[in-house]
This record gives sequence, structure tokens and C-alpha cells, in this order.
Amino acid sequence: MAKVLIPPPYRGPTQGAGELEVEGQCVRDCLLEVERRFPGFLPLVVDANGAQHRFVKIFRNGDQLTGDALQQSAAPEDEIEIVSAIAGG
Amino acid sequence: MAGPSGDKLIYVNMTDQSAEIRDYPDEWKLLGGRALSAKILLQECDPTCDPLGPDNVLVMAPGVMSGTAAPTSGRISIGGKSPLTGGIKEANAGGEPGQHLMKLGFRAIVVKGQPADAERRYALLVDKSGAKLVPADAYKGMWNYALCESLHGEYPKTASFITCGPAGEMQLAGASVACTDQDNRYPARHAARGGLGAVMGAKGLKFVMVDPGRASVRRPADRKKFGALCKTYTKDYQAGEQMFKFGTSSVVPVANMLHTFVYKNRVEGQSPDAESLDGARIVESFEERGGGMHNCMTGCIVRCSNVVNDAEGNYKTSALEFETLTVLGANCAVQSWEDVADLDRLCDELGLDTIETGAALAVLMDAGQMQWGDVEAMKQLLEKLPEGGAQGRAVGNGAVAVGKLTGHARVPHAKGQAIPAWDPRPLKATGITYCTSAMGADHTAGLIINPGLAPGDFVWESQKIQIVNCVNDASGFCQFLQPTLDDIRDFYGALYGEEVSREQLHDQGWQCMVDEWEFNRRAGFTQDDDVLADCMQQDAIGAEGAKQIFDVPADVIAQTYQRLPAREDLFTTKAAG
Repeated sequence: MAKVLIPPPYRGPTQGAGELEVEGQCVRDCLLEVERRFPGFLPLVVDANGAQHRFVKIFRNGDQLTGDALQQSAAPEDEIEIVSAIAGG
Repeated sequence: MAGPSGDKLIYVNMTDQSAEIRDYPDEWKLLGGRALSAKILLQECDPTCDPLGPDNVLVMAPGVMSGTAAPTSGRISIGGKSPLTGGIKEANAGGEPGQHLMKLGFRAIVVKGQPADAERRYALLVDKSGAKLVPADAYKGMWNYALCESLHGEYPKTASFITCGPAGEMQLAGASVACTDQDNRYPARHAARGGLGAVMGAKGLKFVMVDPGRASVRRPADRKKFGALCKTYTKDYQAGEQMFKFGTSSVVPVANMLHTFVYKNRVEGQSPDAESLDGARIVESFEERGGGMHNCMTGCIVRCSNVVNDAEGNYKTSALEFETLTVLGANCAVQSWEDVADLDRLCDELGLDTIETGAALAVLMDAGQMQWGDVEAMKQLLEKLPEGGAQGRAVGNGAVAVGKLTGHARVPHAKGQAIPAWDPRPLKATGITYCTSAMGADHTAGLIINPGLAPGDFVWESQKIQIVNCVNDASGFCQFLQPTLDDIRDFYGALYGEEVSREQLHDQGWQCMVDEWEFNRRAGFTQDDDVLADCMQQDAIGAEGAKQIFDVPADVIAQTYQRLPAREDLFTTKAAG
């Protein structure tokens, strides 16, 4: 199963969980699975049209995904990290 | 002694207008900024003194790394007894004065006393020949931008300035201390919180001029290691996430989703105007109006400061920050970032903390004495504030003062200081910081943006980040560079050519907190003061079905005062504020 890493600001919906193992063929599938288990998570990553928020970056195995990151594949051993542009201010 | 040596302290006596240079104690070489300010205040300031009287001590202390070639390391701390909270306060700023003082070898300016004639104004001039006080009556009452424009023409082009605006001269408890930016011209970098501008004003000190002349950067003991460290750290930072690439204002949409983009005196955690207040709109304006991202001090690699222009392409303000957009914007139901930019400029002109002023205006609106979002009324009040009307004075004195003037009880604060944007109801560990920091509600004391944190982790997370931020604010590194304690150890080690242990920095951070708590204890604070205003404990915000109040029990909050054993993450956690 792929592992999804949740950034601290997004751990409200996941009730504190920072890592989740999910099944999915692509990044979007993986995120939908997180949403199924923890409603309220997905809107933090995608907008009402299902597009990735501009302030969110998605990394797979340490490499930032460019283009339509949500459609890119996810293998069982992959680590998908969500990074949100929030750190203070 | 290896590394920089021969450093000095400047002692200024405002009562007889004298300045004296003293040797800097060798045993304090790793103390700077906030930690140095706390040490001096605890030793030399009577905590029971009148904050606006002659016995208060105003400290201006750059960080340990200021004046070196280390990236983003030139912050300066301003410290004293706060007229806002009645306790110890440190607020720090970017800009050039910290770098310039340290290039000259001055580790701090310590200002004591008070002129017999409260109408007189003085300036402290600092350069390679030393320091002296001179009359500055001609600058009395000048707004910050006009003041700095005038000073820029009068003093060497290499000089930077620390200034006191009209709000400070009026001794208002929300007054800030301004520092000029990299251009040495705009007074846009403010040590804003806690009313330290009022302390400067009460001492009759209108400005400090620091001219480094041709002074070079501070030389580290291990130049090779230090140079390599600077290079590697910069390269790694620039290859990383660069969270503040478009400024702190880009945080708006996420904060809104997390219910910490507070609205109408914090009755809601989300604003319907988040889209039009989003920093992305500011970035979009750059193409047509000019402006853009820049660094507020030399050697900064974060470059989080936005330069905001008006519709004609003329400079308006810098930087328009997330905190300002939230508390002076959304919290007052202001709808447009351009209006917040105008208000931000006015606050910088007067020398007012935008957080305290925004919170005060929101209380005024909540009390029914100003319409929500009435930008013209807000501007008018600020423009006429120097005339000294009761409402203007109350706003300048902060949210609690407006509550007293209007009889309005709903004032979100801790220890008399308004709560910043980051809300303690969804972010409960941050709420513990607001309760236990000697500074009152101050996100720079220790911010934890994790709404899913388990209650059992609240105390450690708050204590940990408070320690990290203490060490960071002693170092001169900007919190937005997000160094860890291990990073700071590496830089200190190369600067002084000796190993600095993890335990040393853990001790330093903890001791800074202990010094600040002890000052407050002697000032009369008790653990009964470690509370947030009732409205934070009664009025819930958040998503439907998941609304929250601040409900951390007092006995849990009190655990923050017990030093916990260091865990690995203490040394790898990034500074955050």
C-alpha cells in the first residue's frame, strides 16, 4: 500500500494521524481514500473543481510532482507527501 | 578569545544625556537578542517600575549572528517592561540597524533614565568613534516616513535608523519601534508588539542613527568552516520548499480553511473576504504596478517581504503581512487587501503595532462605535490619532483600553496583549504558548500549527517551540529562515571556533524563559494570569459540528513551567512564528 504523509496543519481531519497507508492506482485515488476515512481532508488539498490548490505541493518519493500531479501513478511502495505553504507569519 | 572579540555595550542615560561605552562580558558571548535583553532587564530593571517612567530600561540588542555573513541573520531585539502587559517584553525586527551595530562591535544599547523636560527630544548617534546623544527637538512629532526621508538626507548614506513615531511619543501602549530597511530609507520593519515604542518615546529618544561606515562583516574564528556552512545552508534552503517565497500573506487561504483567519473580533474563524484578502492578489498586482518580493536586510535569502505599490505604481508599504491582513483586515471586516495596505502604511507612519491596532479597532466595532469594515472611518481615526482624541488614544493603547473605554467586555487577549491571527481555539498548543509566555499572546513566542495534535502532546510541543524560538531570537536568525537548534549550533561553533553542545542551547533557551518568568513574578504576575480572555473559553469557532473553544485545563497549562527532558525533536524542530 502507498503511504500518504500528512503535514501538521492538515492533521485536524485526520485526528492527528501523520501517515496513512492507502490503496490507489494514482495520487487522486490515494487522496480519495484518505477522504473516505477522514472526511474534510480532501478540500484542504483540492478546490471545489477538484484541482490541486496552488499553495499545495505534492511529492512522490521525494520528487515534486509537476503537471497534473493528481493523475500520476501511485505504486504500493510509494511515499506521497503533501506539503502546504503554511509555516507562520 | 577565538572569534569576534572586543565587543562593547552602549549605556545611555537620558536623565543627563550621557552615553558610555562598556566592555561586553566574555561569558555572555553566546547571548544576544532576546536572551541578552532578558538577562540585562532582570539584572538592571526594577520589575515593579512604571513602564513609562525613568526606571524602565530599554534594550536594543542584535542577535549573536548579526553582522556576520550568515544568511538572514541580522534581526535586532527591542526589550523592556511593557506598558501594554506590565511584564517583560521583547519584540524583534529586520532591517539594517542590527547588522550595523554588530559590524561596529556593539552588542546592545541600554537606555535608562528620562529627561526632566518631557517636551525635549534627543537622538543617539552611533558610529566607529562611539556614541553620543544630541538634541533632536526639530524632529518632534514627525511621522516615520517623513522623519526617515529627512534623516536620510542629513546623515551618511551608509547609516540606518531606529525610530519612534508619533504614537511612541504619545506613549501609547500599542506603539512600535521602527527600523529602516535594506535601502536605509523606509521605516518599514517594526519591533511591533508590547508597546516598546512608548518606552522609547517616554525616554525622549526620537531616533538612533547607526553608521557602520566601511566596517566589514564580523570575522568568524573558523573562516573556512563558516564560509562552507553559509554556502551549504543557502544552497539547501534555496533547493527546498521556500515556504515564504511569496511572503507570509500567501498563508491566507490555508489559514481560512483552518478557521484561523479570524473575522469580526474573532466571532468566526473564517472570513467571506478571504479571496480578496489573499496575498496572491498582491503578487498578481506586481505585473501591472511594479513592486515585488525583496529582502528587508542584507544577506537575506528568504526574501519574504513584499513591496506593495499603489495603482499608479508608487511605493505604498512594505511588507504587507499575513498577521496584518488578518487582524487589521478580516477581523475588522475589511474586504480588500488594498485597503489593508493603506491602513498598514498609516500604522507604520505612526509607529503602531498592526496586530494590536487591528484588534483594538475590532473591539470598537464590536462595541457598536464604528461600522464593521468602515475603512474610511478607520483611516480617519488613525490620521487624527496624533490630535489626542479619546477614541484615538484608546485604539493606540490597544484592545483592552478600547474595551475599558466602551465598556465592551469581549476583548480577546492574554496578559493585556491582543491575540494575534493564529487562534488558540483550533490551535490549542499555541494557546498554551499564549498563556505561559511571559510576553502574553504572541505567536512569535511559539507557534504550533497542528489542529490534530493529541492533548497529551500539547505541553511538550509548546515548551519545545518556545525554547527553539528563544534560542532563535537570541541568534539574530529570522524565524522565517526556520533554523533548527542543530543549525544554530553549527553556526555558533564556526563563529567562535569551539563546539557548542545541544545541552548548552537547550539550557540557553530554557534560561531565557526562566529569566522572563522571574521578571514577571517580581512584577507581580502569578499563574492566575496564565489565562486567555473569557471569550476564547466560551465562544466556539470551527466547522459545523466541530466547533471548538479553548478548553485546556489550568493544571495542564501549568506543566509548561516544568522543564521536560530533551527529546531528539527539540534539536531538529524548525523555529516557527
